[in-house]
Amino acid sequence: MLALPLLWSALLAYVAAGSTAIIAVALERRPERWILAFLLLGISLHGASLALRWIDVGHGPFITLFEVLSSNIWSLTLIFAVAYWRIPAVRPAAAFVAPVLFIMMGWLLVASPGESHFPPTYRTLWLYVHVVLGKIFLGAVLVAVGLSGVILARLPGREALEELAFRFMAIGFVFETLMLVSGAIWAQDAWGRYWAWDPLETWAFLTWLSLAAYLHARVAFRIGPRASALMILGVFALAFLTFFGVPFVSTAPHKGAI
Amino acid sequence: MTALASLKLTAAALVLLAGGVVWAYLERSHSVPAMVAPMTLLALNLAAAILVNPKFRRQVPLLIFHIALLALVLLAAAGRLTYLNGRVELSVGEAFSGELLDAQAGPLHPNRLARAAFVNEGFEIDYAPKWKRVQTRNLVRWRGARGEETGVIGDQTPLVLEGYRFYTTSNKGFAPVFVWQPAGGAAQRGSVHLPPYPVLQFAQEAQWTPPGGAETVTVKLPIDTELIDYHNASGFRLPPTHDLELTYGGQTRRLAPGASVELAGGRLRYEGLTTWMGYVVFSDWTLPWLLAAAALAAAALGWHFWRRFAARPWNEARAC
Repeated sequence: MLALPLLWSALLAYVAAGSTAIIAVALERRPERWILAFLLLGISLHGASLALRWIDVGHGPFITLFEVLSSNIWSLTLIFAVAYWRIPAVRPAAAFVAPVLFIMMGWLLVASPGESHFPPTYRTLWLYVHVVLGKIFLGAVLVAVGLSGVILARLPGREALEELAFRFMAIGFVFETLMLVSGAIWAQDAWGRYWAWDPLETWAFLTWLSLAAYLHARVAFRIGPRASALMILGVFALAFLTFFGVPFVSTAPHKGAI
Repeated sequence: MTALASLKLTAAALVLLAGGVVWAYLERSHSVPAMVAPMTLLALNLAAAILVNPKFRRQVPLLIFHIALLALVLLAAAGRLTYLNGRVELSVGEAFSGELLDAQAGPLHPNRLARAAFVNEGFEIDYAPKWKRVQTRNLVRWRGARGEETGVIGDQTPLVLEGYRFYTTSNKGFAPVFVWQPAGGAAQRGSVHLPPYPVLQFAQEAQWTPPGGAETVTVKLPIDTELIDYHNASGFRLPPTHDLELTYGGQTRRLAPGASVELAGGRLRYEGLTTWMGYVVFSDWTLPWLLAAAALAAAALGWHFWRRFAARPWNEARAC
């Protein structure tokens, strides 16, 4: 199967992009074209790998830890690459986004690439709507995390980045709201209830509350850039746990049932 | 009023609500007050802010977003007062009478279940290898505005009658059908629902007392063949041939369809084997309004941030 060699090649390209970004920050160089080229190469190879696997197993990357990690590495990199390309101020953030993606890639390498059953509750358009909205939410927050890294590391030009990080968090808030709404519609169709406080729903709501608290705290307490950056890291940690931890330790029907 | 409308109170109430959610998640005890108290505080804070905060009058999308949030909280509360969530099992050919096996309902739920009558006309379930359920198709019949109507429900498609939504579930099994002729009384036809299949394939027995009867019988369905192919794509099906084992009064009899036994208080005739389907029943009149409020909130939020961010290009974003 060609999907796995393509995936490993994509990971190498991502590692090249991330390593170059980290070294560039350390050496105060700006090899931005190389970083973008490596990112695009990785995204293309990874996209082809995901498509081949989709055709091979007959369903999208929504079920196993391997599939969820793989598709999220792809979508997070794609969203970051678009921000990197369009907004030059985001570029130093690559050095801080890379370690997050490296952790996910390391985790992917030890996850089993085996297939799993595609449950009947997943055979709905709402799956795609819900997943795409969730990926945009997490991607926007990841860009804010990278910008927070620049602020906390006191790199040059950080003064302008707090507002930019806030904008990505605001985008994340809109898309997380939409993700929760679409998830509730799906849950109503699939399980006959729109909200049941199962572990995934509970942690997704806590993430939404933490994001709302960040947005309010920024206005109400006029928090400084460092406190703002730390809050963003906290929101991301909660979102990361919700995306990649809760679904794989809970026994709730968010993964379908026989 | 100004103190109640404070943004600092909002941030504090959000943290309290998060704490309440975690408490309910971990402890499960006093979960309702743990969540309702901060939510009420948030709703009051929001209502006060809408009334006194001049920012809301300057920023219409933000005002709409917060009004929609308030509406969501009020609708969710109204939904909790009037909802119904229950469970029912119906054999093939059996009509839903309005009786549920179990249910939770809000104190103000107007019970109209008796008007939501329908008949289970049988189901098909596809299985992938390793008994992975694929698709459920359940034929149902009901009396609608155009007279007798039929439809296929299952998986993502519920039957909606009188505001109640009936969903098929993974809970289904076999149901031996009996005719009970009590001594000196009228015959009654009914079925015994054996445990779910294939989940409890090795426990296909149930105890049952005929209506008005004095003797409890154990009904067992021995299944010797693999009804759902484990290794290949397959479907839910009845055993091609079978005998039912009936244990009563210290003796066990094997019954073929059409056979009868004499019990204390009457005569029991085994008619044959059919299936039963378990349904989840859900009712909440606020559903479309919740969806509308949530969609309005998300749209208003997007509008608010769009207006705010469009005023200054992203490459020139500065603290303001």
